[in-house]
Amino acid sequence: MDVSQYLNVFMDECQEHLQSLNQSLLVLEQEPDNMEILNAIFRAAHTLKGASATMGFNKMSNVTHAMEDVLSLLRQNELEVSAELINVLFAALDLLEVLAQGITEGREEDVETTGVIQSLQKFVAKELKSEPGPKTEPGQKSERRQSLELRYLPLEIEQIKSAVADGSNLNHLHVHLQEDCLLKGARAFMILRELETHGDIVRTIPTAKELEDEQFEDDFIIGILSKKPLEFLTRFLEKMLDVQKVEGEVNDPEALLVERRGDGAQAVASDVDQQKTSHTKATSNVSPTVRVDIRKLDELMNLVGEIVITRSRLEQLSWEQEDQNMVETVEQLSRLTMDLRDQVLKTRMVPVDHVFSRFPRLVRDLAKETRKEIQLEISGAETELDRTVIDEIADPLVHIIRNSVDHGIETPEVRTAAGKTLPGTVELKAYQAGNSVVIEIFDDGAGIDTRKIKAKAIERGIVTSEDIDNMDDDDIMNLIFLPGLSTSEKVTDISGRGVGMDVVKTQITNLGGIVEMSSVEGEGTKFTIRLPLTLAIIQTLIVQLGNDVFAIPSTLIDQTISVDKKDIKRLRGREVTVYRGEVLPLVRLQEFLEVKEAKNADLDELDVVVISNGERRVGFIVDTLVRQQDVVIKSLGTYLGNIPGIAGATILGNGKIALILDLRSVA
Amino acid sequence: MKDNKERQEETTQIIIFKLGEEEFGVNILQVREIEKLDQGITRVPRAPHFVEGIINLRGEIIPIVDLRARFGLTLPELGLNSRVIIVEVGEAQVGMLVDAVVEVLRVPVSAIESAPTITKGVDSYFLAGVVNIDERLIVLLNLERTLSPEEEKELSEVELGDEL
Repeated sequence: MDVSQYLNVFMDECQEHLQSLNQSLLVLEQEPDNMEILNAIFRAAHTLKGASATMGFNKMSNVTHAMEDVLSLLRQNELEVSAELINVLFAALDLLEVLAQGITEGREEDVETTGVIQSLQKFVAKELKSEPGPKTEPGQKSERRQSLELRYLPLEIEQIKSAVADGSNLNHLHVHLQEDCLLKGARAFMILRELETHGDIVRTIPTAKELEDEQFEDDFIIGILSKKPLEFLTRFLEKMLDVQKVEGEVNDPEALLVERRGDGAQAVASDVDQQKTSHTKATSNVSPTVRVDIRKLDELMNLVGEIVITRSRLEQLSWEQEDQNMVETVEQLSRLTMDLRDQVLKTRMVPVDHVFSRFPRLVRDLAKETRKEIQLEISGAETELDRTVIDEIADPLVHIIRNSVDHGIETPEVRTAAGKTLPGTVELKAYQAGNSVVIEIFDDGAGIDTRKIKAKAIERGIVTSEDIDNMDDDDIMNLIFLPGLSTSEKVTDISGRGVGMDVVKTQITNLGGIVEMSSVEGEGTKFTIRLPLTLAIIQTLIVQLGNDVFAIPSTLIDQTISVDKKDIKRLRGREVTVYRGEVLPLVRLQEFLEVKEAKNADLDELDVVVISNGERRVGFIVDTLVRQQDVVIKSLGTYLGNIPGIAGATILGNGKIALILDLRSVA
Repeated sequence: MKDNKERQEETTQIIIFKLGEEEFGVNILQVREIEKLDQGITRVPRAPHFVEGIINLRGEIIPIVDLRARFGLTLPELGLNSRVIIVEVGEAQVGMLVDAVVEVLRVPVSAIESAPTITKGVDSYFLAGVVNIDERLIVLLNLERTLSPEEEKELSEVELGDEL
């Protein structure tokens, strides 16, 4: 059977299962008695085993099988959760990730798995050794048979009674699937669906949802009200593919077992109906989703972008026509277009949780490595970001968190000596603020020693001691974002590999974002990252300089002000003005953009765009402010893509090109 | 209805254009289209010196390279016959500013020779060969090298070397 076409689906689901396994294991580590989590882990491993076996990935299947054996013993309370066991399970998970990677690179067979499998089997062997009693098999079976007895709610029993009085029978059908049946969930679903044509299914064990998710071995029981004779039903089922045998019996409604507890009681009829209508596989959030190739979304985004541009051109033309009907219709078109754009943008939005979810594991591992006690608190994981931003933000975040663990949080001894609480805390917060998404990373560790930074900065010739005197603490701390300053004293394995804060800053800047840091020595450090909500279409301020127009993204603009010529002074060779008690350096934009026909040198009142790059503010003098406009960012390609200050270009409604400026790097 | 002999000769089509009075050529398979310079070229500050700027081609932003600047030739200003040849290099599209587009010529592959070190003032590094046909010397461009953004430094090294 050629399974290569299912490879993408398999990989996607594999990743999901691995992620959920990671998270669940972390919880199990903290709550060893949590049966629910244990079951969730078991089910995930079981599903993964089946899926990988179906696809022919035997190594993965073997590893998950070994895990399943261990987990099975845990479930039956014949094995205890120990730190060693958890570590082995984590090691197995890591191996599964390596295997998954190997699968995508086509070399799954090369991955070494015997070590981990043996460690897992040791736990199972230990178990068997210490309890050489009756084999668990019959015990298991009777357990299962017990749990396979159908119980009904009182209400259901009433319904059954009236149906029986009407001529139906309540049949309990115990269906056994062939052992080698692939896709048992689908088979079970089909069986239920076919049966529905011959009667009403009242209940199944396990529930219809569990059946579809393949949370069962090879058999299940159906309670069905039908006017057709039992013989008919059993033979009907046995004729179906993959059904090995069916045991059936008619039940007396008077003798039915009552389901007393409220939990777990799901009326099957509505279950099966639900599945008929919403056949898409539910995610763990139980909201129906569809997997879409990201390239299709990109294409859609592109088209919408073009529509937005054409729409503004149409708007301009309609105003020129001065035809009221036309203007109104075009306005309506505009509203629809912007709605369309917003909806498409939303399809690209993904919760930050995608990235945050791997941090608990990361922090746990790092803490163990450094022998520190660290607690990670995450909030706002449901905040959404554009898909492309999500992919790129992971790296810088990992780096900052590593720094917090490595250099921020102190060892337990140091902390207690300083009177600090144990464990140390790292807080990861995300929230939306206006047009941006803010991510904060805070640790209550040692903070940043400004003296060390000062010393190093002077030593490396980055600033002179005179400059340092003029800088306040915040400025000094933000020096760590400069290349050359960010390599730590000793290259630790965790965070010192020559990749420093300057890389983090570059990565974030490339996303159109800002990163700031503040710290109090001895108390902690906080990183604040501000990211634009979306990359492709942005709101900009159009400014005129000479004969050209330029677009400045609104998110970068602190404010726009008007400055009188006479309020401009010179300070150390640069033009400055005083604004709200602060000295604001000024730059004539034409110097930076080499525009010769700029007019602002002659004006008495100047329009100034104030840009903040996190550290300080600079005012850029332009000729005039034209208007606010949404534009589609177009990349400038290989030649021109790396010019500092130029982030891209856009095509305006009149067909002219406006360069999009990112003035923070110039500030 | 070519006869056997002709069919055996492999040919390739070249688009011939002029920089000043000299004729240059590029393989037609690399050419996407040829445009007049109706709209102005939007300047990009601090771009490499041979990049004139960018244009809007039906919604796409295309960088425009001035080949004369690229090759270090000094030539007169743009005229009525100036054109932009949009070529595809790898995944990118680039427009080459030329003084005139002459014709499309079918050339037998056997007529293409390797270029001498400096031809018409252009370093052989940028060239894919020369064609001698009917007393015309057509210089064929290696687009990957001509239009690659990094070669500036190498070029100046080469020039110095030649002067020594």
